[in-house]
Amino acid sequence: MPPSVEEAARALREIDAIKARAAGFQDYRAESDQLLLWGLAHAVGFALSGFFPAFILLIWLIVVPLSMGAGMLLARRAASEIPGISWRYLVLIGAIFTFMVLIHVVMWPLTPEQGSMVAPLFVSALYVMRGVQMRPRYLFIGGWLAVLLMTGFVFFQPVFWWWMTTVYGGSFIAFGIWLRRL
Amino acid sequence: MQTPNEIIHQPIRLKIMAALNTLGANQWLEFVSLKSIVDTTDGNLGAHLNTLESAQYVLIKKDFAGKKPRTRVCLSAKGREAFAGYIAALHAILALETLEPDVPTTSTHNNR
Repeated sequence: MPPSVEEAARALREIDAIKARAAGFQDYRAESDQLLLWGLAHAVGFALSGFFPAFILLIWLIVVPLSMGAGMLLARRAASEIPGISWRYLVLIGAIFTFMVLIHVVMWPLTPEQGSMVAPLFVSALYVMRGVQMRPRYLFIGGWLAVLLMTGFVFFQPVFWWWMTTVYGGSFIAFGIWLRRL
Repeated sequence: MQTPNEIIHQPIRLKIMAALNTLGANQWLEFVSLKSIVDTTDGNLGAHLNTLESAQYVLIKKDFAGKKPRTRVCLSAKGREAFAGYIAALHAILALETLEPDVPTTSTHNNR
């Protein structure tokens, strides 16, 4: 016996819901790789900044392009599942980098600690915006990162670089693992 | 009226087919990922995958990722075609409903 109109409509709604869920799953998986990568990059970058504060600019001029290269490879790997992700990735990282440079120009002089807060806070805001518009887990990630960043900056100045290494970099890695578990 | 495919017209199998249909041709999805998307148990998913495999709608590959056993699933060309047909049948049912004119009842007719 053929299904009723209600059953047919319900089946089509079910298909749409699964499509959205599968798209979310693929998106989270692609983002998870990036979070793990950048978590590691931040942990290394902030640890080196703590050990060699005189070379902060040089450290990040090496860490960021290397991470971007690795990130591009990861984005290309996901390109078959999420079309256009490679160029969007480049634009996104470029926007964060440009924003950071411009804020430095506008607000100069900044202490190294202040300067190192700019990009992470911007990234937190991006996650919050993305979470509000698209997927709820990003909202939580953005909010949590912002709280951690401000806590470190306000209350843990004496151990700021180690806070950023373990708590900020570590959170990225933890969130990367979390996004793999849908 | 066109009858939708009975194999696909089962809630879990419908979800499996819909999830696999979002992937490109020859793209494989891991069993654990499919389980998360479909939101069901290992046993339930395995049983429904066997049904779909018997109908040649899905291909199942078991291998190792390093030392870890891994099961992956892919929609076959026949499965993709069947799913497209299933969706077309559902749309046909909905379209038929909107096209069907209201049939006057006998009582209304007799009251004239």
